[in-house]
Amino acid sequence: MSTQATEAAPSAGPSDVTFSVRNLWKIFGRNADKVVGTELERADRDRIKEETGCTVAVRDVSFDVRPGEIFVVMGLSGSGKSTLIRCLTRLIEPTAGSVLLDGEDIEAASDQRLRELRRHKMAMVFQHFGLLPNRRIIDNVAYGLEVRGMPRAERYARAREMIDMVGLSGNENARPGELSGGMQQRVGLARALAVDPQVLLFDEPFSALDPLIRRDMQNEVARLQRELNKTAVFITHDLQEALKLGDRIAIMRDGELVQVGTPEEVVGRPANAYVADFTSDVARTTVLTARWLVRDAYPDERTDGPATEPGTVLAEVLPMLAASTAPVRVVEGDTLLGYVGRDDVLRAIAQDQLEGADQVAAIEEEISDEATDHGGPAPTGGRG
Amino acid sequence: MATVTEPAGATSTGTGSPKGSGGLLRNTWVQALAVVAVLVAGYWLTRWAGGPSWAGSFPTGIGESFMAWLDGIYAWIVANRNDSPLFLYFFNYVSVGLGSAVVLINQFLTFLTWAGVTVLGVLAAWRIAGWRVALVVLATFAVFALTGLWNESMTTLSLIITAVFIALLFGVPLGILAGRSEGFYRGVRPVLDFMQIMPAFAYLLPFVLLFGIGNPAAAVVTAVYALPPVVRITALGIREVNKGAVEATTSLGSTPWQILTKVQLPMAKRTILLGVNQTIMLAVSMVVIASVIGAGGLGDAIFQALTKINVGQAFQAGLAIVMLAIAMDRVTGAVGHGAHTPDIPEKYRMPLLGGGLALVILVVALARLADLGGWPRDWSVELDKPVNALNDSVEAAIGPASAALGTWTQTWVLGPLNGLLTGSPWWLVVLAAAALGMVFAGWRAALVSGISFLAIGLLGVWDNAMDTLSQVLVATVVTIALGVLIGVLMSRSDVFAAILRPVLDFMQTLPPFVYLIPAVALLGLGPVPALAAAVIFALPAVIRLVNDGIRGVPKGTLEAALSQGSTGWQLLTKVELPMARGSLLLAVNQGIILVLSMVVMGALVGAGALGNDVVLGLAQNELGLGLASGLAIVFLGLFLDRVTQGRRAPRA
Repeated sequence: MSTQATEAAPSAGPSDVTFSVRNLWKIFGRNADKVVGTELERADRDRIKEETGCTVAVRDVSFDVRPGEIFVVMGLSGSGKSTLIRCLTRLIEPTAGSVLLDGEDIEAASDQRLRELRRHKMAMVFQHFGLLPNRRIIDNVAYGLEVRGMPRAERYARAREMIDMVGLSGNENARPGELSGGMQQRVGLARALAVDPQVLLFDEPFSALDPLIRRDMQNEVARLQRELNKTAVFITHDLQEALKLGDRIAIMRDGELVQVGTPEEVVGRPANAYVADFTSDVARTTVLTARWLVRDAYPDERTDGPATEPGTVLAEVLPMLAASTAPVRVVEGDTLLGYVGRDDVLRAIAQDQLEGADQVAAIEEEISDEATDHGGPAPTGGRG
Repeated sequence: MATVTEPAGATSTGTGSPKGSGGLLRNTWVQALAVVAVLVAGYWLTRWAGGPSWAGSFPTGIGESFMAWLDGIYAWIVANRNDSPLFLYFFNYVSVGLGSAVVLINQFLTFLTWAGVTVLGVLAAWRIAGWRVALVVLATFAVFALTGLWNESMTTLSLIITAVFIALLFGVPLGILAGRSEGFYRGVRPVLDFMQIMPAFAYLLPFVLLFGIGNPAAAVVTAVYALPPVVRITALGIREVNKGAVEATTSLGSTPWQILTKVQLPMAKRTILLGVNQTIMLAVSMVVIASVIGAGGLGDAIFQALTKINVGQAFQAGLAIVMLAIAMDRVTGAVGHGAHTPDIPEKYRMPLLGGGLALVILVVALARLADLGGWPRDWSVELDKPVNALNDSVEAAIGPASAALGTWTQTWVLGPLNGLLTGSPWWLVVLAAAALGMVFAGWRAALVSGISFLAIGLLGVWDNAMDTLSQVLVATVVTIALGVLIGVLMSRSDVFAAILRPVLDFMQTLPPFVYLIPAVALLGLGPVPALAAAVIFALPAVIRLVNDGIRGVPKGTLEAALSQGSTGWQLLTKVELPMARGSLLLAVNQGIILVLSMVVMGALVGAGALGNDVVLGLAQNELGLGLASGLAIVFLGLFLDRVTQGRRAPRA
């Protein structure tokens, strides 16, 4: 399964990839090294547990993270996602596999070099914040600079800037215990940003916050990401959060990556029943875009409908279709990409109402029949 | 993720299969009773057979030669103390160094004069712990002065400072190591456990062997005795530091040293200070006991007074020690939680410190000009005469009753029990000990129990050890009965608990030595006052554990039982006590260990047996006998601990 989930972009050179993870394994237990490379490797978790007493947390995971994107890893608790992100910065030593950061093998780095990388290139934000209760906010934010050996005046100046950026000005001298959860996580964010890292690693940063504050923080991260143009790996168990923040989403189950793709791909073309089940509650009209449904015109169709951008979500295409019987024209710049008609959108919405991959599959079969009747190509929404 | 923090070993192996606890309990007690019945039968059979030689007490041949061998070693050490390189270049240096440290601190305190010491102590206490504690400290110095024991108190203080310094010098780094390395922690844990079950008395002799009699030996023995809590609690504090904070700071590229100094130590500071507090309290209690091996100061004053049965003098010195213990506890405890520390703005701190120092220097200068030294003895209040008079009248009033009680206990309880243990064939007693270990805690404890008894026999102190054992058993039964009763009452009533809690706190800060004073005052000399002191000494811990155990039963469970119509009595016997089983067993274990340590100390008031041999060994230079008895105490402790600890529920 993992092999299919591996991305089909191995040709990308190191400069196009920030993180390159290949065949990463993490197995907890005494006989951890006796699993990878043997025939047990293919066995399921329970059998490995039974035979060696080891727990497989991450199994043969490979993916690339491109510069400037937010790469979301999503999975339920126990799926190994937190272990995975810790392997990227070696807070947990992987059992096998390689992690390249800008082409440099992190697994091969010496302790000294690893510290250098942690101090300058990547910073992590934690679910339970990991702040030092005995230090003031400013000293917490400046911690990464302090361990680098930056003089006090300089690091305080930088820390103040960061505190300002996350909207906590005036709280420099407070202790973490005096702040609310949301504010504490802002401190965690400021601490990570203070070292001006190339990559930000987020480990379920907002899971411990209540829903309203969570939304604020998501917007905050999206804003900072745009402004500072950082690369980010973001772990979450919340699908809505993944869809909202992720440029690409990797879905993880039992230590393996089940599917890697854009939010549209994950929702519109689930790789298997598990992902389909997972995404079944998502309102497709808010995720899928016109680009996703675009098709060539049928022979006898009107072609004078209203125009729209390919990035428009279906929820916004619907009113246009209601106003006109003609299909919407999808135009990117000056190029006409194709058309989206009422029936296309209706089908996409109908999938929303159905539960279970079987029903989806059954409907899709009918759809493809229907499409053949029309004499046109099957909509891209079907299974390729 | 599923890392096992619960110690494996005796706890889990001994607990046996998870059958219904009621059935298991009954079963166990039936088995234990059967063992006792066999022992009694063996005793009567032996008597009926006229006590043949193969069925008597342990043959003393091996033990005697062992003691002779130890005496030989001692003689060699005495002869070679100034020749052997080991002594010449190590022990003697340590000894001289420590001796001079104690003397130096003492001289410094004398140099400050009584006025300077008081001002310094009170100011420091105020700065650290607020004005209430400062008043306690002032009262303490007043007691030192007015009892006429100023110089003795300063000697004791110097000894405590030296010993605590050594204990922390070794203990804190060991604790940090144990906190950071799982392997090291697993290595030192059993050693610390062992050190904590050993009665203070058993520590004394080996150090005399190496350092001779006097203050250096006392300082080392106190330091060693006080070491375990600071190691254990420091390790605990480091381990309890929020994993997330360590992980977060690691992810920012901290070196291990930076993690230790910037994260773990600052976050574990309070816990570590709690360990320091415990270490100081243990040092206070040991420094008093160490008077037996020639430590000067307040302990010596009590020791001398007790041997002369001068209750008044013992009372004066006891009062001084109690005040010292309370003041030490309050000051160091306050450092830990910082609740009453005066809140002084940052900018005034340095001036305040400077001002305080200036004041102390001024007072010292003035006092030296006025040629003050230690507190003049003729300014003291003579407490001993009225106390002695009071004691005489009390003795006249209840003397016959307490004497009768003493005789009765001796004739009807201690005597028969002792007779049973010494009169039965020794191999039967060893087997019975092993069988009890098996019944209560599984085969490992059985092995330890059997070997312990065998070792006691081989040491040649069988009869005395059985005497001590019977005293311990009797005192333990009384302690547990009273402790459970009071503990249950305490758990029933919040008012009672609120009244009792400070009393228990107070009792637990007292050094064990001072418990002997009222016991002697009321009951005279002999085993019975020693037992009374042991019971009172062990009670607070037992009461507290019982109360905490019962109060720890989840509210939801109680509500469920009440909703089904339980009466109060049913609630207690069917829900609360069974659910508090872990705490109850821990209470038995703690109670028995505390009783043992006190019963042995009871030798000083005439309880005889093993403790007496230790004292005798010291006093008469019969080191072989003393050491053998000390070792026998260790083995008794091991036996009692293992048998009672094995069934400790995993929750405790």
